[in-house]
Amino acid sequence: MIRFDYLVRKVIFAVITLAVVIVFNFFLFRILPGDPVKLLFRNPRLTRQAQEQIRVQFGLDKPIWLDSEALQSGDLETAFDSQFTAYVRNLFQGNLGISFATRQDVGEVLGERVWRTAVLVFTGETLAIVIGVVVGLAAAWRRGTRLDTAALVLGLLTWALPTFFLGIILLILARGVLPSGGMVTPGYAEQNTVAYWLDVARHLILPTITLAVVSASGYMLIMRSSVVEVLAEDYILTAKAKGLSTAQILRDHALKNAMLPMITIIALTLGYTVGGAIQVETVFSWPGIGRLIYDSVAKQDYPVLQGAFLLLAISVILANLAADILYSVLDPRVKVN
Amino acid sequence: MGKLRKLFAMLVILPLLLPVSAGAQDQPITLRVGTTYIMDTINPANGFYGYNIRPLWQDTLVEWAGGQNFEPGLAESWSVSDDGLVWQFKIREGVMYSNGTPLTANEAAWSLNWVIDNEVPSLSGYLSNIETVEALDPTTLQITLDAPVPDMISSKLLYVWIVAPQVWENVTGDDITTYSEYDAVLGSGPYILKDFQEGEYMIMDANPNYWGGKPPVDRIIYQEYANDDAMIQALLAGEIDLITTVPFSGTQPLLDAADSVTVSISDYFSLEELIINSSPEGTQPASLNDPIVRSAISHAIDKQQIITIAYSGYATPAATFLGPAYGDFHNTDIQDDAFDLAEANRLLDEAGYLDTNGDGVREYSDGSPLEYRLYAPESSTYYARVIEIISNDLAQIGISAPPQVLSDDSLIALQPDYDSDLIYWGWAFDPDPAFAVSIFTCAETVDGGWSDSGYCNPAYNALYDAQSTALDHEQRRDIIWQAQQMIFDDKPYIPVAYYNSISAYRSTAFSFDPNLAAEPIKWALFHGFSIK
Repeated sequence: MIRFDYLVRKVIFAVITLAVVIVFNFFLFRILPGDPVKLLFRNPRLTRQAQEQIRVQFGLDKPIWLDSEALQSGDLETAFDSQFTAYVRNLFQGNLGISFATRQDVGEVLGERVWRTAVLVFTGETLAIVIGVVVGLAAAWRRGTRLDTAALVLGLLTWALPTFFLGIILLILARGVLPSGGMVTPGYAEQNTVAYWLDVARHLILPTITLAVVSASGYMLIMRSSVVEVLAEDYILTAKAKGLSTAQILRDHALKNAMLPMITIIALTLGYTVGGAIQVETVFSWPGIGRLIYDSVAKQDYPVLQGAFLLLAISVILANLAADILYSVLDPRVKVN
Repeated sequence: MGKLRKLFAMLVILPLLLPVSAGAQDQPITLRVGTTYIMDTINPANGFYGYNIRPLWQDTLVEWAGGQNFEPGLAESWSVSDDGLVWQFKIREGVMYSNGTPLTANEAAWSLNWVIDNEVPSLSGYLSNIETVEALDPTTLQITLDAPVPDMISSKLLYVWIVAPQVWENVTGDDITTYSEYDAVLGSGPYILKDFQEGEYMIMDANPNYWGGKPPVDRIIYQEYANDDAMIQALLAGEIDLITTVPFSGTQPLLDAADSVTVSISDYFSLEELIINSSPEGTQPASLNDPIVRSAISHAIDKQQIITIAYSGYATPAATFLGPAYGDFHNTDIQDDAFDLAEANRLLDEAGYLDTNGDGVREYSDGSPLEYRLYAPESSTYYARVIEIISNDLAQIGISAPPQVLSDDSLIALQPDYDSDLIYWGWAFDPDPAFAVSIFTCAETVDGGWSDSGYCNPAYNALYDAQSTALDHEQRRDIIWQAQQMIFDDKPYIPVAYYNSISAYRSTAFSFDPNLAAEPIKWALFHGFSIK
C-alpha cells in the first residue's frame, strides 16, 4: 500500500512545480528580443497603422508586468491591466489565447496536433522500447561475446546518428515507395475510413523507423547495464543452482528487477511525448506539436508557445508523478524514505 | 503456422508499400503543388502570405501577369481623367461568384469601401489616397483620389481582392480579422477552396462559373513540406507535380532529372544587400560614414564568388537596388564598382587609413581601428556563408569585420536605435518600385518604419515625393533612375545579388510556359499551360 502522506507530498510538489512553470512560461518568451508583430510579417504590406492595430488587438501595447507609473499614482486598475494579468486570467478561464500567426484558438490548434504527435511518438517509442529491452537483455546475458560487442557498437552508432541525417537518408532510399512527408495524401480518402488509416500508416513508416532507431539504443544501453548488475546478484546464482532454464531466470528473476530503472525512463519519455520529436516531425513534415513549436519559435508566436509549453509541462509533471507512484508500488523500499 | 504468419504479414505490409493508385477512370485532373509554407490564414483581411494562391479564389480589378505586365482582371478596361484624380473602370458583364450570385460594379465598390472603412490590416495600405469609391451603374466603377498616383494599376489595385458582401456584411468588429470559414474567400476566381489544414495541405476545385472559361485542371492541391529536401524528393518521385519556389540548393538535382522534370529560372524582384548603417543617430564608428571607406568596401566585395558559393549560381550581381525584373525602372547607366582589392587598398591608403601598429587592421585619424560588426539573420542558412566571404574580403583591405549570425528578432531589435555597423539582409519586393524606393526615405527611419539603413537625405525624399505623383511613365522612370544613382553614390546599401525565382514541374504530366518562374500561378494556368 502507498502511504497517504507520501502521495500528498508528491501531489503538492507537482502543483507547486506547475505554478512556477505557468509564471516562467510567460516571461521565458517575453525576454526574447525584437517585436513579434514585425517579425511575424517582415512584409511590405504591413503598414504602420496595421502594426498598431494588431498590437492593440493582442494587448501587446499594454505593459508586460505592471504599469509602475499608474501604481505610484494609486490607480490600481490601470496598474494591473498588464499582459501578465490578462494571461493568468485567461488561463484560469481555460482560454489559451489566439495564435498571432494563424488567428486560430490555441486550445483548438493544440488539440488537433496533440493526437497526431501521440500516434507518431507512441508507435515509435513502443518499437524502440521493445527493441531496446530485447537487445539489452540478450547483450547482458551474453556479456562479453560477439553479440554483446555488436549490440554495443551498433547502439553507440545509432545513438550518435543525427536524427535529421538518418531521416533524409531514409527519405531518399524510400523514394517512390513511401511518401516523402505529411500525415495523409491530401484528397485521397475520407477521414476515418479504412483507406484513410491505411494511408496514415504508410506515412507513419519512415518517421517511426527513424524515431525507433535513434531512441532504441538509449533503452538498450540502460537495459543492458541494469541486467548486468542484476545478474551479478546472489539470487541469480541460486536460481542457476536450482537448475532453472535461461528463459526462466531471465523472465522471473533478472527482468523484473532490471525493469525498475526502465520504468522511470519509459514514464518520463511518455511524458515528453506531447513535445513530439521536433526533428522527426520536421524532416517528415509531420503536423504535430514538435513542428508547431519549431514554427512558432521562428514566428515568436507567444500564445502558441505558451500553450505548447504548458501542455508539455503538465504531461511531464503527471508522468513524473505516475513514475513516483508506480515505483513505490513496484519497489517497497522507496516508501521508507 | 509459419506460412500462415508470413501470409498475414504480407497482407498487412503490402498495401502499405503500394503507392496510392490512381484508381477509377473518372478521377479528376489534379495539379499537386509542393511548398514550404501555404499561408498563415485564409482570412483575406489579415492574411499576409499566400499572395500567389489568393488570386485563384478572389479576383482583382487588374491582374499581374508577371514582370512589368498588368492585364485586365474583373475590370476589362479603364480610363483616367486628365488631372489623374478620377478613374473609371468598366467591370465585365455576367461575372458570377462561384456560388452563382452576380458580381457587378456594386459588389466591387462595396468590397473596396469595406477595405477602406474597416482599415483592413493586410489591404488598406494599398488604398491610401482614395477619397470615394462608387458604382455609377452595374458595369462602371468610379474611384476618386485626393492626389494623382502613378501606381494605381501596377500596385494599388493589384492585391485588393474583391470579396463577397453577402459574407462580410455579417462579420463585424474584431471578427473581420479572425473570420476564417471557407466562404471568407468566396469570390469570382477560377477555383473554390474546399479544404485547408494549416501546416498540412489545401485543396481547391475548379469554379464552373469562372468568367475566364473552364479552368484547365479540376483540382489543385497544395502540400506543405517542413523540409526542402523532402519536397525535392517528392517532385522527383512524382508525388507532387509542381514546386513554385525551389530553393537554390535543390535546383541541381532537379536539373539532373531533365527527362521527367523541367526547371524554369527567372529574374525576380529580389535584392540582397550589405546594409551600411547610415543613421545620424546610429552607433557606427565615424570612419564608416566616410564615402571613401564605403567605396573601398564596395570594391572589396567579390559578388561573383558570393553568388557561386552561397546562391549556387542562381543570382546575378547587383549594382542598384532595383534589379532587371523592374524592366526600364532598372538603372542600366550605373556602372558597378569592380571587384578590385588593389583599388580598395589604394583608396584607403590615399585617404590616410594606414595600419600604423602593424596588426593587419588600418586605423582612422583618431587612432581607432577599422573594426566593424558584421551581422546576418539566421533565417536564411546561406547568409552565414555570404558574411564569411565578405569578412575575408574585407580582411584583405585591412578592415576587421568578424562575421556573426543573429536571430532575426535580435536584428530587428537593433533597428530602432540603429545599433549596428554592417548587416547582410534581403528583400522580396512588389512589382511596382514605389516600396523599394520608399525604404531610403527619412519617414521610414521612425520606430516601426522599414528603413534598415537609417539613411536620411532631404534631396532623396524630394525624389521619392516626385515619383509618387509623376503620372508620366518616362518622367517617373527618370526620377527613379536618379534615386538609384543617389543611393549608389551615398551607399547606405551595397547591393550584392538579385537571386532568381526558380520553379520546377513534372514535364511528364504537364507543360507550362517557359517563363513560369516569373508568373503568378493563376496567370500561368491560363497562358501556355497544357496537359500531356
